[in-house]
Amino acid sequence: MRISLTVNGVKRVVDVKPNERLLDVLRYRLGIKSVRAGCLVGDCGICTVIVDGKLVKSCLVLAAEANGSNIVTVEGLSTNMRPSPVQRAFVESFGYQCGYCTPAFVLTAHWITENMVNASDEEIARVLNSVVCRCTGYKQIVDSVKLALKWRREGGER
Amino acid sequence: MSLILRTTLPDFDYLLPSSLDELLALKAKYGERAAVIAGGTVLLNLIRLGFRYDYVIDIKGVRELSAIEYREGKGLVIGAAVTLRDLENNEVVRDKYRVLWDAVRQIGDFHLRNRATIGGNICNPTLQADTIAPLAVLGASIEISSMRGSRRVAIWELVKEGGGLLLDPDEILTRIYIPEPPKGSRGAYFKVWWIAGIAALAANIDNPRERIVRIAYSFAPSPKLVEGVERIFRQEKPLKVLIGDAINYIKTIVTPPSDARASREYREHLVEFGTAYLLRKLLGVEV
Repeated sequence: MRISLTVNGVKRVVDVKPNERLLDVLRYRLGIKSVRAGCLVGDCGICTVIVDGKLVKSCLVLAAEANGSNIVTVEGLSTNMRPSPVQRAFVESFGYQCGYCTPAFVLTAHWITENMVNASDEEIARVLNSVVCRCTGYKQIVDSVKLALKWRREGGER
Repeated sequence: MSLILRTTLPDFDYLLPSSLDELLALKAKYGERAAVIAGGTVLLNLIRLGFRYDYVIDIKGVRELSAIEYREGKGLVIGAAVTLRDLENNEVVRDKYRVLWDAVRQIGDFHLRNRATIGGNICNPTLQADTIAPLAVLGASIEISSMRGSRRVAIWELVKEGGGLLLDPDEILTRIYIPEPPKGSRGAYFKVWWIAGIAALAANIDNPRERIVRIAYSFAPSPKLVEGVERIFRQEKPLKVLIGDAINYIKTIVTPPSDARASREYREHLVEFGTAYLLRKLLGVEV
């Protein structure tokens, strides 16, 4: 079946099978390599993307269900190869180790800065809780989110 | 059932009806060969684990099933495809149906709740349906629809003793009806992973004759509403004593299962601990 997706602002029309996960379509058919497979059962959150403004785990979404939706991945955050403030906050605070979960955390952090500018520590944790980092560098990840929020509140990029 | 976990899902056809009539016609036509997908967070895992369906019918195209409606004095009507996030963000649910709100917030995680739906949670009790116990203490009923018509049953009747749903192959859970909660009622949900979930609701705490206390347990595969707790709390004794009486009574009735996730003994401990925790919290009793 043929579906159409707007991925990072670009409309893409793609033929998919009814049993294909959104994760596989984004990664293998559209070549968006920041979308990665982890557990494939919805536990780890590594495959997180933003669909119509909502954080979702793309391993548990059929591509067919996403027909007509607007999708944002990490590739959509930077402009002209310039990292977004959220991405720079992760660099500044060392919010990554091996990097496998980083796109998922950066997207989650991006959503937090867009939707919960005044989030408390507890609220930040409630959202970040969805993504697992096996290197367990959570402290630095939380610091990155807080730094990104601080920059956001203080008005734009540093 | 194959125990080999696949990364790709087996073949099925995807159907997206745009009206309730069309949806019910498809379910009548394909029956057990068709699975209903709302959020998909459970279904896709079941398919991966070996459940086979020729068709997956998406109910999200039927707009009315994604609506939450509240009418003062009448109560709340929730469509089966309403996401847990929508319930979490709903002020009426948060303020008036606290026990449900508290349970919803503890299901899955933030990202999953953007997809997972209340209908899906109710219809998958083998994984511990955390919304069933709060709906039970709120006195909710559910609407089950097919081309033959609609019927309403108490939420409690949906899951048969020992597991399995009351739904016929051509039927679909369409709506959840929750009456107006008792005035001034408080509610809370106690959850320990997929091991135990306990819902409690209390109202008119200071007046023994009108005191309302309801407790239900979300154990897989069949949840349990404990009847008779209210009678205990109508007695003129100190609340602390009544809580002890209630727990002793509950322990004779609630027999939690033993499975891969926890032993029966551990669940019995959680029943005692969680029930005491919730009742003390709701009734304002210090340890």
